[in-house]
Formats: sequence, structure tokens, C-alpha cells
Amino acid sequence: MARYLVERTFPDGLGLPPTQQGNEVAQTVVGNNAEKGVTWIHSYVTTDKKHTFCIYDGPSPEAIRKTAEKNGLPVDRITEVRVLDPYFHY
Amino acid sequence: MQLEAALETARVGHGQFVLVSGEAGIGKTALVDRFVQTNGDSTRVLRGYCDPLLTPSALGPLLDITRDLGSDLSMDIDGDRRASAIFARFLAILTELSKPALLVVEDIHWADEATIDLLKYLGRRLDGARVLMIATFRDDEVRRHDGLRFLLGDLATTRNVERLELARLSRDAVSSLAGGRVADVDGLFRSTGGNPFFVTEVVANPAAEVPATVRDAVLGRVARLGPEGRRLLDRAAVVGARVDYELLEAVAGPDGTGLSECLAMGILQDLGHCLAFRHELARNAVLEAVDPLRRRALSREVLAAAIQAGFADKGLTARLAHYAESAGSAPDVIRYGTAAGQTASSLGAHKEAAAHFRAVLRFSEGQGSAERARISAAYARECAVLDWLPEAIEAYRMAVELWGDCGDRTRQGEALSLLAWPLVRHGANAEADEIAQQAIALLEPLGPSRELANAYRTHAHLRMLDRDCGRAVEIGGKAMSMAADLDDMATLAGAEMVVGAAKLVTDDREGRAHLDRCIEIAQAGRLHEVVALARMNIGTSYGEQYHLAEAEDELIDGIDIAREHDLDHSGHYMASWLALTHMFQGQWDKTAALCDDLLAQPNLAAISRIMALVALGRIRVRRGDPGAPEALDEALHLAKRTSTLQRLAPVHAARAELAWFAGDPKQAAAEARQVFELAERRRHAWHTGEMLFWLKRAGETVPDIDWIAPPYARQIAGDWEHAAALWRQRGCPFEEARALADGTEAARLRALEIFDGLGAAPAAAALRREMREAGARRIPRGPRSSTRLNPFGLTNREMTILGHLVDGLTNAEIGNALFISPKTVDHHVSSILSKLGTPSRRDAAELALREGMAPQNGDA
Repeated sequence: MARYLVERTFPDGLGLPPTQQGNEVAQTVVGNNAEKGVTWIHSYVTTDKKHTFCIYDGPSPEAIRKTAEKNGLPVDRITEVRVLDPYFHY
Repeated sequence: MQLEAALETARVGHGQFVLVSGEAGIGKTALVDRFVQTNGDSTRVLRGYCDPLLTPSALGPLLDITRDLGSDLSMDIDGDRRASAIFARFLAILTELSKPALLVVEDIHWADEATIDLLKYLGRRLDGARVLMIATFRDDEVRRHDGLRFLLGDLATTRNVERLELARLSRDAVSSLAGGRVADVDGLFRSTGGNPFFVTEVVANPAAEVPATVRDAVLGRVARLGPEGRRLLDRAAVVGARVDYELLEAVAGPDGTGLSECLAMGILQDLGHCLAFRHELARNAVLEAVDPLRRRALSREVLAAAIQAGFADKGLTARLAHYAESAGSAPDVIRYGTAAGQTASSLGAHKEAAAHFRAVLRFSEGQGSAERARISAAYARECAVLDWLPEAIEAYRMAVELWGDCGDRTRQGEALSLLAWPLVRHGANAEADEIAQQAIALLEPLGPSRELANAYRTHAHLRMLDRDCGRAVEIGGKAMSMAADLDDMATLAGAEMVVGAAKLVTDDREGRAHLDRCIEIAQAGRLHEVVALARMNIGTSYGEQYHLAEAEDELIDGIDIAREHDLDHSGHYMASWLALTHMFQGQWDKTAALCDDLLAQPNLAAISRIMALVALGRIRVRRGDPGAPEALDEALHLAKRTSTLQRLAPVHAARAELAWFAGDPKQAAAEARQVFELAERRRHAWHTGEMLFWLKRAGETVPDIDWIAPPYARQIAGDWEHAAALWRQRGCPFEEARALADGTEAARLRALEIFDGLGAAPAAAALRREMREAGARRIPRGPRSSTRLNPFGLTNREMTILGHLVDGLTNAEIGNALFISPKTVDHHVSSILSKLGTPSRRDAAELALREGMAPQNGDA
């Protein structure tokens, strides 16, 4: 299982409010991901909410794209990454 | 319980397959016995067993089952019927039973290849049948049985298949099983490791000390038998896992002295139709304790009894061969081994057939040459099917030599032609060519014959592989006319295929007529493999020549035939080419899905793996996704071993593109140079064109070659507009956009639109950068702003067919208009309906009109 950084652009801003409805959307995404063996770890969102940087675990970039399509999420770029932690660097 | 739930699902018509696994003695059979007992009344129980013979009996379990069924299927198994026909009949019988079927196949770690094929066949077709299939196996034997490993891999992706793994007993369970009869429960648990069979053996013969191995436990129990009982038990162990009454009677004397003792002690069990050891572990322990010389003598007794009992006429030749080999009786090994080998071969149990023939060869040293020549050739054929190439080559050589000794030039020539094939697959093409010519030289003076026609066909095929197409057509023509005169349909179909393929790869459209004739002949003779091969040849030749829509139709048809007849190898190869045609047509999600599926196949052939990796690597490159270098490194590694243009060119082309987008034009040129010369020597218009294109892109001066494929020729000459139009005609949007990107600002805007629509991020980003540097004023920001002409992601072919749906045409009419079969049209139509999410053709047509998609004709 590889780890990926997925960059996305939302020209109209990301609509995922911290409400019950927002939670439901997030849970749908998590459920769809599981079908392809993809796990959404977490995301960083720019302050204007137009770009996200999402960390995923998945079997292949194709699986990441497939779930993105299922969830109706755009994909700008997928990069395979490794963890580099400054506080446990030995 | 898992089995109960599976049975309930099977009862309502969703057949299930449960694989029960665990180590020897864990209780697989006991579990199945109990389940069968509980559900025996409401189901039709059918049980087959795989036996631990030196060489397993082909379809042995099915023979057991058909005996229960009382059907005449066993006649087919013993006769010369093909396995696929037998499997189909068996499935039909299963579905027509008045009760749900409970089909049990035991110990499939000893299964022959044909039985593995049967399980695969049934596993894929159970849905819709009221059948619960249960197979048991020792999981620690799996790694030694390739066929079983592949079967498990194959079934892992099937929805209606479940695994049930049995675990060892806990200390508490051991204690309760011992029931106070063994004092040292801890010792019992430690020694037995919680293996239920071991525990019960110890409990049945409690001693002061717990025996260290299961063998000691069994022998401790057996030691309590009297001499009569022991005498009978040794003979029973030689007979096998299941002991036929008639054999035991013959070898133990009519009163069966000692039997009651064995039964009373529980070492042997009465199964009604035969006797059996309580467990194979027990039989093994008893058999190993018999010294080798005595074992041989006992085997001789059993063999004589089995011959007397008419085993040869009951389809049990594999067991006769087993006894003959154990007894060391050469004439019997030759007689029964040959017969068992022939049966195994015709049923597709090639490993077992090879093992039988190998034994016969070993036992027939010094026999007459003709007999040995025949067996050598039979052995070689099985080895070739199994891809054991060095063995096949050696055995064919031996057959050639032996036929020479007999002075039979016809057979010798035949063996020479056959020898050419494993040589080719082993990469010894030049030697194969020489051998094929030798065969012709030997046979020609003898006048027209089937053997000579086949030798011509073989030589023509070799010339075609080397893309010496003129010679291939010439020699293939000789094969065709001779085979036609002699009514040899198989050779005629093969020769038509070779000539057709030779013409198609040089883009001579006449080739199609030959291949169509090949398919017609093969269909009439029910030669399904040949039909699939012909479709494969047409589909891949079209693909190599960028006739993509036509390639897609042929491949879809061919994949259907392959699936219907379980021709996995050709099916996979065609699927890998289908992935490539989708890739070139910009259908990257489809490409990804196909490659995902293919690359997960446990025994994918190298050629299919190479093509799938190229398709996957290229979409990763074009999307800018990670993982492209890994896919293309593996592809290169595999392609180098084939050292053929067919494999090297697609791999290096993809790697050149990878290097280009990685910003390394020098490396791109280096990749192109790797195959440029070979492609030029073979005058391959497309491969040569693509390599020249990359060399030119990388800034090298390239020679002017006038026969390369026109779209590449135009683009290299700087005529981007014409090149783009040609790519559009071929249905290659990425290549079209790449040509447009060399053009005017308006052309570049169109290129951006296409790149964005495809999700070709790196190409789009590079073009945006170039346009900014060139001072373009209006550069659209990204995918969002592009107009979406085809919002449902239909292929060009599907857009064309959608147009016909709007006009209200039937599948037959559409097929006529597009020169494809109505079945293929049907495939496209269902794909269109699912993409549009409409239930019917009419709804699809209405939606197309509403969305303004109708007038577009994708196949410009």
C-alpha cells in the first residue's frame, strides 16, 4: 500500500461545512473509498478553500482516481510520498 | 455456520463454492461428513476423491461422482471426448437435478490438472445453479501444486467463493476430547499440537507415555493387531486410500481373515461401497513400515488382482499404471501407462499425461524404436503444452532420431515440424527455421501428404514471425492448396491464418479475407482455439496498424469466445491489447480497469503482462501519475527476453514519452534509438514513425524515410494540420492534440481543450507554459472552463452507434452499416445505456437529442 498526496482545485470553494450534513458527505467519501482499498488519512485546505492537499493510502494511482470520480472530486495531481518527521528523525 | 449459510444461498439458485483447508488430520473430512449427514436428505450428495497415486488419475473425482449419478458421463471420460464438452454436460446434469446438489471434492491438493480445470470451470459458472460445491485441501501442500495455487488465485476474485480454514484444537478442547483417558493432558497437547487426528489416535491406544509423532501413535495402535489383521492391513495400504472389496478379497483370501479385527479396532472403516483407512496419515504410517522388497511383491499381487478385476475397462488405467510402477513391472507400465497417458492428455491433464509417458519411456529402454518414437513424441507434445520447453525439444529430437532409425521418413518429417514450435518459443528462431526446412526437404520427395502440408504451414509461420511476409505468403500458399486437396481442415485453417496475418501486419487488407476463411473453417470444425487465435491475430494486427475501432470490435468478439471456452491465455492477451486500444482512444479509465484486472491474474503470460504494463505505464505518463517508471521498467525487463520488435517497440516508445515528460530529451532519444534500427529493418511503418518522431522531438537530425506512417510523417515534416486531421481519423485524441500543439494559437487552444478533457495534465501544463512564453493573450485556466462535448465519456465508436440509435436502426442494420457483427453492436449498445444511465435504446436516443449529442459523428 502506497501513500499519495492528492492535490485538488475547487474554483467555487470547498463546500464541506462542519455540520451534520458535512459529516454525512465525508462519511460517504470514506465508504466509497473502502470499496477500492483506498483510505483517506486527512487533508489540508487553503484559507480561501479553493485548493486541498489530501493524504491517502491506496493500492495504485488508478484506484485513487477511480474513488475520486465516484465521489465527484477533482484531481489535479497525484504524487507518491513518504513520511519525513523532524521530531523522530534518526 | 458458514457451510449452512452457503447451502441456503445455493438452495435459492445462487451456487456457492466453499474451500475447506487445514493441515492433515485437522478434521476436514470429519466436518464435511457431518455436514453431509445433516443435509443429505434435502440435497443430492455427490462425492469425489483425489487419491495420492504416483501419477493422479485424470478426472478421478468426476469418475467417482458419475458412478453415483448413474449417468453415462464416465463413457465420455474414458472415451476420446474433450474436457470442455464433458464439463458442460456435467454442469447441465447438475442444474437439472430435482434437488439442490451438494458436490464434494476431497483432497484437491492431489488433484490432476483436468480436475483443477473442472473446479475452475464450475466455480465460474455456479451462479444460477442450485449447487453447493465443497472442496477440501491441505493448505501446507498448496505451494507444491502450481495448478492448485493458480486455481485459488483465480477464484479469489469470484464473488460466490468462500474460504473456510480449520484451526488446531486449544488445550481445553484437547482435554475434553481426551475425556480423562489420558493422564498427561499437557504432554498430549504439546506432542499433538492440537491436531485432532493425532489426539484421537493417542486416546484410542493410551500408553504410559504420549508418542512423539503421529506415525508412532498409529504404529502403536497397529501393533495390537494379530498376524492375520496385520497381513490384511499391509495389503490394504498398498491398494490405496480407498480399498476396493474385490481387490482386497483377491489378495487377502476369500474369507478375508483379519478384516473384522481391523474394523473393530477402527483402523479401517466400512464406507459401504469400499473400505478406507481412518485417515491417509494412518495408511502412510502402515505403508512406510513395510520394507521395500515386500512392498514390491505386494504391489505385484495387487496389480494381478486389479487386472483380473477388469480395471482397464472401468476407466481405472491410472491405478493400474500406479501398481505396475510400484511393482516394477515393465510390460505393464508400458501397456497401462500409455493408455493412462492418452486418456489424461485428451482430458487436458497434461502434467499427468507427461508423467505417465515419462514413466513409460523409463521402463521401455531397449524396446523397438517405433514404439519408443511414438511415446517420445507423445511426451514431447505434453511438455510443449506445459511450456517445459527444454524437455519438449529434447524429446522431439529423440523422436526424430528414433523414426530415422526405423527408416520412417514421413513420421520423421512430422516430428521435425513439431520440433520447430518449442524451439521458437524458446527463442531459437533461426534453428527452428532450419528444422522446418529440413522437414520439407525430407517430405517433398515423398509426394503430397498431410505431413508435408503441415511442414509448409510451419515454415510459413516462422517466416511471418520474422516479418518476411513475401515468403510467408508464398509458402503458406503451398500449404493451403495441399491441405485443401487432402481435406485437412486443421492445417488449412492454420495456413489461412498465417497468410492472413502476414498480409495484415503489412497493412495489406486482403489478409482479412484469409482470416475470415480461417474462422469459417475453424467454426465448422468446432476448433474454438483457432477461432480465438484468428480473432486475436486480426485484433492485434489492426491495433498495431492503428485501426483502433476495428481492433476494438475484433478483440471484444475474441475475448467473448475465449471466455466461453476458458481459453485464458488468448483471452488475456486480447484484453491487454484492448487496454492499449482504449489507451490510444483516450479511454483511460477503461484502460486502468482492464490493466488492474489483468495484472492481478496469478499466471499471466509474459506477452500479456508486457502489453498491459505498457498501457498502464502510458496512461500514468500522460496523466502525470506516479508509478510509471516502475511499470515500464518491468515491461522492459520482460520485453528484452523476447527480443522481438513486437514487444520492444511499444515498451521503448512508452519509455521515450516518459523521459520526455520527465524533462530528459536525451534519454527520450536514447530510448527511441534502442529499437529504431530494428523497426527500420523490418519496415514497420508505425514503430519506425514513432521512433523518428521522438528522435526529432529530442532535437536530432533524422533521415527522410518515405514509408513511415502518414500521421508521423506529416508531423515530422512540420505539417501539423494534416497530421492532426490524420490522428483524428484514427481516433487518437492525445496524438491529435499533440499535433495541434505545434500549430497556430487557435489550434493550440483546441489542443488545450483536448488535453484538459483527457486529464493529460503534464501535456496541458507544458502547452500553457509555451503559450504564455509566446505571449498568448487568452489562455483558459483549466479543465473546468473547457466545453464538454461528450459529457458521458462515450467512445467514438459509441458516439457513432448512438447516432444510429437516434435514427432508429436495429442492431443488424447498424452492424451492416459499420461492417461489424450484431453481437458486437449489442456490446456497444449496452455500454452506451450504462454510461448514459438510460434503461432503453429509445431513452438513450431521446437523451442524445436533448443534450445535442446526436448529430456528432465520432467516426469522421
